[in-house]
Amino acid sequence: MAGSVLAPVPTSAAPTAKGRLRRSLRSRRTRSGLLNGAPIVVYLLVLFVYPILSTLLLSVKGARGGLTLHWYADALSGANLGVLLTTLRISAETSLISVVIGFLLAYAMSRLRPLWAGLMMLIVVVPHFISALVRTYGWIILLGDHGVVNGLLVDLHVPGAPFQLLYNEIGVIIGTTSVMLPYTVLLLYAVMRGVDRRLLAAAASMGAGRLVTFRRVYLPLVAPGLVNAAVLSFILCLGYYLTPALMGGTKQTVVAALIDDQVMKQNQWNGAAALGVILLLLTFAGLSLLRLARAIGANARQRGAA
Amino acid sequence: MIGLRSTWTGRICLAVASTVILLFLVMPIVVIVVTSFGNDALGSFPPHSWTLNWYHQLFAPGSKWPGALSLSVLVAAITTVFSLVLGVTAATALVRSDLPLRSAVYGLVLAPLVIPQVVIALGLFLLFDPAAMLGSPIAIALGHTVLASPIAVLILMATLRGIDERLEDAAASMGAGRLTIFRRITFPLAAPGMVAAAVFSFITSFDEFFISQFLSSVDTTTLPVQVFNVLQYDVDPTVTAISAVLIAVAVLALALVGVVRRLGSGRENGLLPVDSAAALPGNEVP
Repeated sequence: MAGSVLAPVPTSAAPTAKGRLRRSLRSRRTRSGLLNGAPIVVYLLVLFVYPILSTLLLSVKGARGGLTLHWYADALSGANLGVLLTTLRISAETSLISVVIGFLLAYAMSRLRPLWAGLMMLIVVVPHFISALVRTYGWIILLGDHGVVNGLLVDLHVPGAPFQLLYNEIGVIIGTTSVMLPYTVLLLYAVMRGVDRRLLAAAASMGAGRLVTFRRVYLPLVAPGLVNAAVLSFILCLGYYLTPALMGGTKQTVVAALIDDQVMKQNQWNGAAALGVILLLLTFAGLSLLRLARAIGANARQRGAA
Repeated sequence: MIGLRSTWTGRICLAVASTVILLFLVMPIVVIVVTSFGNDALGSFPPHSWTLNWYHQLFAPGSKWPGALSLSVLVAAITTVFSLVLGVTAATALVRSDLPLRSAVYGLVLAPLVIPQVVIALGLFLLFDPAAMLGSPIAIALGHTVLASPIAVLILMATLRGIDERLEDAAASMGAGRLTIFRRITFPLAAPGMVAAAVFSFITSFDEFFISQFLSSVDTTTLPVQVFNVLQYDVDPTVTAISAVLIAVAVLALALVGVVRRLGSGRENGLLPVDSAAALPGNEVP
C-alpha cells in the first residue's frame, strides 16, 4: 500500500527526482498529508523518540562526563544479570503457554458458528480492556492458601493440596498468561479463519491420516500466526512487571521492576537507563526475528507457487 | 471434518478445554465483583454474608480514593482530547492524502504499542523531571497520549477507510463547500469511529500504570498507582470495591462503543466492534 502511494505518477516527460518532488508538493493531496501528518509526527518525536534517545545517551554517560560502558557492565553482571535471565525465562514460559492455550481456544472459535464464535470473542476481548492490575488482584484472591482454587483442590482430595500458588513462579506465570492470552487468541484466530478447509479435505481424500493432515497441512498454514503470537507476547512480557511484582517472590524480580526500583528508590538513573536500553534492544531483536520469519515465509510461498 | 474436532471425543475435549480457558479469563474479574459485596472483603469466596460497606467506605472522610479517582478522570479526559486531535489529523494524513514517507510515519505511529512501556515511562521521567513537572496532571496526560494516540489512529484509519470518498465528491460536485462536506457528510459517518477512538483513549489512560507511576509525586497518584501501592504495601479491604468500580467503568465504556456502533451506520456485527481488535498491537507490526 505504501508503495502505491509513494510511487510517482507516470508522466510522459521523464521528470527528474527534484521536479517530481516539486510537482507532488504542489498537489493538494500532498499538502493536506503534510499538514495533517505533522502534529502526530512532531508530538511523537518530542515525547517518544527524544526521551528514548536521551535514555540512550544517559546510559553511556560516565559519572564525570565522557562516554562509558560501565553501566552496561553493571547491568550484565552479578544480581542484575540474574534478573535479566529471570525476565527472559518468565517471558519465554508465558509466551509458550499463551500460544498453546491460545491455539486451542482460537481453534475452537474458528470451528464454531459465527454467533457462538462472536460470544466467545466477547469473553476474550472484554477482559483485555479491564485493567491488568485489577485482574492480577483477582488472581491473588483466587490463588491464596484459602482461595477458591486451593479450596476446590482440597475438596477434591488432590494429594498435596493446598499448594503454594502465590509469591512464586507458578503465580507469576498464571497471572501473566491471563494478561497475554487475548493477544495470542486474536492473532491466531485471524490466521485460522483464513485457512482454506478444502485443502484439509483434499489431503484426507488422498489418504492422509488426521495427524498427518494436521502436521503437514494445517500447521504449516497457521505457522505464521504462531510465530507472530509467540514473538509478540514474548516482547510484551519483557517490559511488563505488574504481575511479577504483585504475584512473584524475590526470585521473580524482572528487569522492569529493577528499573522502577533504581529510579524511584536508589536514584540510580544511569543504571536504569542501561537496563531500559537492553530491554529496547531485546524488543528490536524480537521484531527483526518476526520480519525475518515473514521473509522466509513469503519466500517459501513463492517457491511453492512456482 | 478434519482435525481435532472430527471425532466426538475430540469435540468434547475441545469444548471442555475452551470452557476452562474462558473461565481462566473471566474468573479473576468475577471474583473481585462478588467479593466486593461480601462481608469479608479480603478472602473467602463466595462470601458468607453481603454488604455495601466497602463502597460506603470508599467515600468516607480521609479516604484516599476520591482524590485518586478524580485525578485519573481528569488525566484521562485531557488525554482523550489530545489523542482525538492527533488521531483525526494523523488518520486523515495516512488514509486520505499522499503523504511523503508514509510507511515511516505509520511505523512511528505504531511504535509506542510495541516498545516496552517501562522504557517510554523512564524516558518521559527524564524529560519531565528537569522541568519540575512530576506530579502534574498535564505531564501525565502528555505521557498517556503517547500510548493512546496510536490506538486512536488505528481506529480512525479503519473508520475513514470505511467511508466512501465518492459521497464527498458527490457533495462537492453539487456545490457543497469543504466545511459543509465535513459537517454534513464526513463527520456523521465518522462519528461512531470517533466515539470508539475517544472511549479507547480514555480507558488506555484511565488504566495506565507505568507512565503514571514514573510521573506521579507523593500527593498526586492516579487510581492504578494507588491500587498498586495498596496491594503491595498495605492491607485495605476497600481496594476490592475500587477494583470493582474500575471493572464497571471498563465494561460500561465498551458497552457504549457497542451501542454507538449499532445506532451509527447500522453496520453488521454490531455487538463486537472490529475496532477493539485493531486496538491490539501486533495485527500490524511496523
